[in-house]
Amino acid sequence: MTSTAPPGPAPASPPATTAQPVIRARGVSMAYGGTDVLHGIDLAIHRGEVFALLGPNGAGKTTTVEILEGFRRRSAGEVSVLGADPERGDDAWRGRIGLVLQSWRDHRRWRVGELLSHFATYYPEPRDPAALLAMVGLTGHADQQVDRLSGGQRRRLDVALGIVGRPELLFLDEPTTGFDPEARHEFHLLVERLARDEGVTVLLTTHDLVEAERLADRIAMLVGGRIRACGSPAELARRAAARAEVRWTADDGTTRRERTADPSRLVWELHRDADGPIAGLEVRRPTLEDTYLHMVHREDDAPAPEHPDGTDGAVGAEARAA
Amino acid sequence: MRGTPMTTTKDHPGTADHPGTGEPAELTGPPAPRRPTGRFWRAGLRRGGIELRHLLRSPKELSGQLTNVVVALLIASYVSGEVPGTSTPLSHLVLAGFAAYLLFQVGLISLPQMLVTEREEGTLLRLRTTPGGIPAYLVAKCLLVVVMAVGALALLLAATALVADGPLPRGPGGWLTLLWVTTLGLLAVVPLGAAIGAVLPNPREALALIMLPTMGLLFTSGAVFPLTAMPGPVQQVASLFPLKWMAQGLRAALLPDTARAAEVAGSWELPMVALVLTAWAVLGFLLAVPLLRRAARRESGSRLSARHRRAERSGAPPG
Repeated sequence: MTSTAPPGPAPASPPATTAQPVIRARGVSMAYGGTDVLHGIDLAIHRGEVFALLGPNGAGKTTTVEILEGFRRRSAGEVSVLGADPERGDDAWRGRIGLVLQSWRDHRRWRVGELLSHFATYYPEPRDPAALLAMVGLTGHADQQVDRLSGGQRRRLDVALGIVGRPELLFLDEPTTGFDPEARHEFHLLVERLARDEGVTVLLTTHDLVEAERLADRIAMLVGGRIRACGSPAELARRAAARAEVRWTADDGTTRRERTADPSRLVWELHRDADGPIAGLEVRRPTLEDTYLHMVHREDDAPAPEHPDGTDGAVGAEARAA
Repeated sequence: MRGTPMTTTKDHPGTADHPGTGEPAELTGPPAPRRPTGRFWRAGLRRGGIELRHLLRSPKELSGQLTNVVVALLIASYVSGEVPGTSTPLSHLVLAGFAAYLLFQVGLISLPQMLVTEREEGTLLRLRTTPGGIPAYLVAKCLLVVVMAVGALALLLAATALVADGPLPRGPGGWLTLLWVTTLGLLAVVPLGAAIGAVLPNPREALALIMLPTMGLLFTSGAVFPLTAMPGPVQQVASLFPLKWMAQGLRAALLPDTARAAEVAGSWELPMVALVLTAWAVLGFLLAVPLLRRAARRESGSRLSARHRRAERSGAPPG
């Protein structure tokens, strides 16, 4: 089986790997009492891929993920997760999926090591609990009661519990909320190791763009129940940077600004016209963050016709100026 | 044990064909290992054992048990006089009723509270996302509840017998009655308690919702005051609920036969005790199985966070 292979700006469906995607969704919609919260989500996530579902609160991330986890019934569309429809997922199917949610507060009275060892017994081929504790940096806390852990430690325990059964697919819901920078870094390394070395497929939901960029092979931006863009971080950044803004101070002292796909040409033209240095010249390329924020604020706009896989074709090609 | 019916109903057909679950079939009991049921049982029993250990270490739980013993001892030493028309101390009659109430409250107060709390904390969701987690959870809870109830009963009888000349069954017949009344009594209240725990909204409201009717039954069921002291309609209503019959059954086990003169019917009515408790057990199971399934099925991450938000302050439903 091939892993990863970051998809190029290919049309509609992601790379034509021979293997069936671990997660495939087609036209998934969700309506609560007449209100649509998801409008035809399409996804194809492959083995060993780290996929980030990025979006503001209320964009439909949770709903999407819970449909994939089998916790919610979709209103329409087709879903296959690890070869099964999540609505009919049985125990064996569950055993192949790991879940790290934001709001676990369970088993407070248990000791850390005791809890992990206990949950290992439910799986046919569990990881070694002691090794796992070391992996998430909780070895020193094995005898501690769960409710005495700090927020970050608790989350790392949740991660350990999520992967103790050697899942093929791991759902991470806002995994690093409340982590300090070092814990976050450690966590990122852990996720990378799981995906690269063990071929675990990871679906990460987050509203933290930096985290998505850092971890994900591909990012889907979900806004207002639609996937507005999807691609590798580099691709999205390139697409975002396609329209640069050039600013300069004109002879009359006013600040001028112009958006262009070809800032180099504009700057050259300015120089040619001015026949000398230009005051306050600045070329700004929008970052992925700018684009993301722009999309989020545009939320109420008419339904974007943009293709779910984010290849609004032409933009990518003409962008390469600098 | 009580876990059996609920556990087997959780079996989905046709799951054994999955690769990756190729563990050795260590099941020595029933043949045809369609799925690793043995593992669930073992996980459940181990889980029950661990929870029991936590319970024994919990100061709150221990002080609760201690309070029960102290109350029982107070009853034994302060309730004076005799059951009218007999030479049986009145305190024995009250202690038998109190013992019945302990069984009753383990099933109908402690168990629902545990369930509601564990739903809110996400324990149920965690087990739902674990293969075989829900059956193991039910096995563990049954073990826990049975040990708690039997422990409370044993502690009460032993303490009062040792310190205050409390009641104990006389002869094998009395012990046998104690055994079956306790078993059937638990069967009557535990599934019912599970059903209640599956539907109540949250631990804070749960306590209020359960306490009132339970206390009402405690005072009207003849558990602490002789039933004959109650007006007729109250007696009839109380007779519909299991506590009256549990208390009556325990009196039959713990008091001498002569004391039955003080019963409403002039006898222990043991067949009726068995009948009513069995009826409640059946009703409890019929309610508990679908309600627990529904509760487990409804658990999800967003529900959990929504509950946590509401718990912190009454807020908006999930988005």
